Amino acid sequence: MTASVLANAPSTRTTLFGASFGLMKRGLQRILRLPSAFFPALAMPIFQSIAFSGTFFAITKIPGFPTDRSINWFMPLGACMGSAFSGVGLGFALIGDIETGFFDRLRMAPAPRNALILGPLLTAWFRTVLVVTAVLVVGFILGARLTGGVLGLLTLYVASLGIATMATGWGLGLAFRFRDMRGAAVMQLGLFVSIFLSSAQTPLNVMQGWLHAVARFNPITNVLRLARQGFVGELTWSGSWGGLVAIAVMGALLLVFARRGLDALDK
Amino acid sequence: MTAAISPLEPFVDPTADHRVDRHVWAQTMAMSKRSVIAIIRQPALVVPSLVFPLFFAALGSSSFSRATGLPGFPKVDSFLALTLAASVIQGVLFGSTNGGAALAVDIENGFFDRLLASPTSRISILVGSLAGSSLFGAAQALFFTIVMMIFGVHLYGGIVGLLVIVVAGALIGLSIGAFLAAMALRTGSAEAVQGVFPLLFITLFFSSAFFPRETMRGVYRTIADINPVSHLYEGMRDLVIDGLSAGAVAKSLLIPIAIGFVSIPIALSQLRRRLKAL
Repeated sequence: MTASVLANAPSTRTTLFGASFGLMKRGLQRILRLPSAFFPALAMPIFQSIAFSGTFFAITKIPGFPTDRSINWFMPLGACMGSAFSGVGLGFALIGDIETGFFDRLRMAPAPRNALILGPLLTAWFRTVLVVTAVLVVGFILGARLTGGVLGLLTLYVASLGIATMATGWGLGLAFRFRDMRGAAVMQLGLFVSIFLSSAQTPLNVMQGWLHAVARFNPITNVLRLARQGFVGELTWSGSWGGLVAIAVMGALLLVFARRGLDALDK
Repeated sequence: MTAAISPLEPFVDPTADHRVDRHVWAQTMAMSKRSVIAIIRQPALVVPSLVFPLFFAALGSSSFSRATGLPGFPKVDSFLALTLAASVIQGVLFGSTNGGAALAVDIENGFFDRLLASPTSRISILVGSLAGSSLFGAAQALFFTIVMMIFGVHLYGGIVGLLVIVVAGALIGLSIGAFLAAMALRTGSAEAVQGVFPLLFITLFFSSAFFPRETMRGVYRTIADINPVSHLYEGMRDLVIDGLSAGAVAKSLLIPIAIGFVSIPIALSQLRRRLKAL
């Protein structure tokens, strides 16, 4: 199906964007054809936002905690987690394509190699927008309030898309290297650990001990700070730029990691 | 001939009645041993069920250590002490899922049918699977307690408290394992059994396993109040932070037994249903 998608793209020799959009279209069709594969990525962040804000409601009473609404703190985390799993979900799908041999047919298609990275990335972004929007709707129903103005929504979407970019690079890179479902466990584990070893649960000024030392240097802390800009105080440049830099650097590195994995597959 | 035999009876020579009990016992032991070995041989399944709860405990103790001073928190030496019972429950839930999935894999790959074709007691197939989950649950409880004691948790319940926690781990493994075995027998799909895990996780999250009920409010508090996992956790937690008491021991042991009174008959009925369908 995808081979025909690539062949029917706008120019005779498929362009990068034509092929990428073809692959994105295929990725989105998978949501409709196999909703059970996408459903966890949608349900999990909603559940997480609800469960964390209810269970850990009391932490907002810790002196120095930046908001008195636990949903304001945990909803952006849920959105970022969902975005991350939207990204690695493309890694799972790629493993399936490699195992069935479909990816070999994609590699033989007359399309730029980068389309095999960019296509899944565009799919991940689309899925991320769906997930973040769903989480936001539930969050607002549960009482989340924008404290940093409407621009706070923009920072949440930017941070979520950034995390999705990193996760896609991570997922694809590992899928190209492992080429079977062993890679799926590493994808999830890496993602889980990197997100939770940050300010995911509490801000830096509240946490103590070893986690504080780790979270300070974890770039995800900056991305989460960016995501929460509109929900835990005023939106400021000083609270945003670190997250933007982290997204740019980590996103680029992990996409290169994916591309090098694809090159290794070709060899 | 098959029609004359109850689906749950062992497929043995009826003239050898005096040997049946001994055979059933031996077969159950053999199936239990196989179940335990199957768990040990799969480190990829065992390790996460040991590492993840410890990771969350370490994370929680660093993230929420300042929360122990908030109103509603019990008097406790450290947040880590509060996480011991939660780690046991969490780890056993992980492990039980693996036990159920292993039974489903046996059904998927035809091993279950081969067992049925052999003169094996039908009950021993189920009991063997549950024994594996139960023993693994006990081992996990012991492991988490020892690791946390190394990291400074003082077990006020002493040796008896430790024993109760280990037995509770075994009972949780048995009772939750029975639910998952029922799922495996019903669906014959390891994927479906794994799919139950999020439901178990939700049950755990909407309890007081991570934060005391006294700090919750609204609908979360109501759900946590009626969730038996809250009371199970609080019993085990009290053994750690307060010491031995009849209430703590009763909650730790009787709640998983009560769950087992529901789950084991369900598993047996699913076994009977599957055997009748053959």
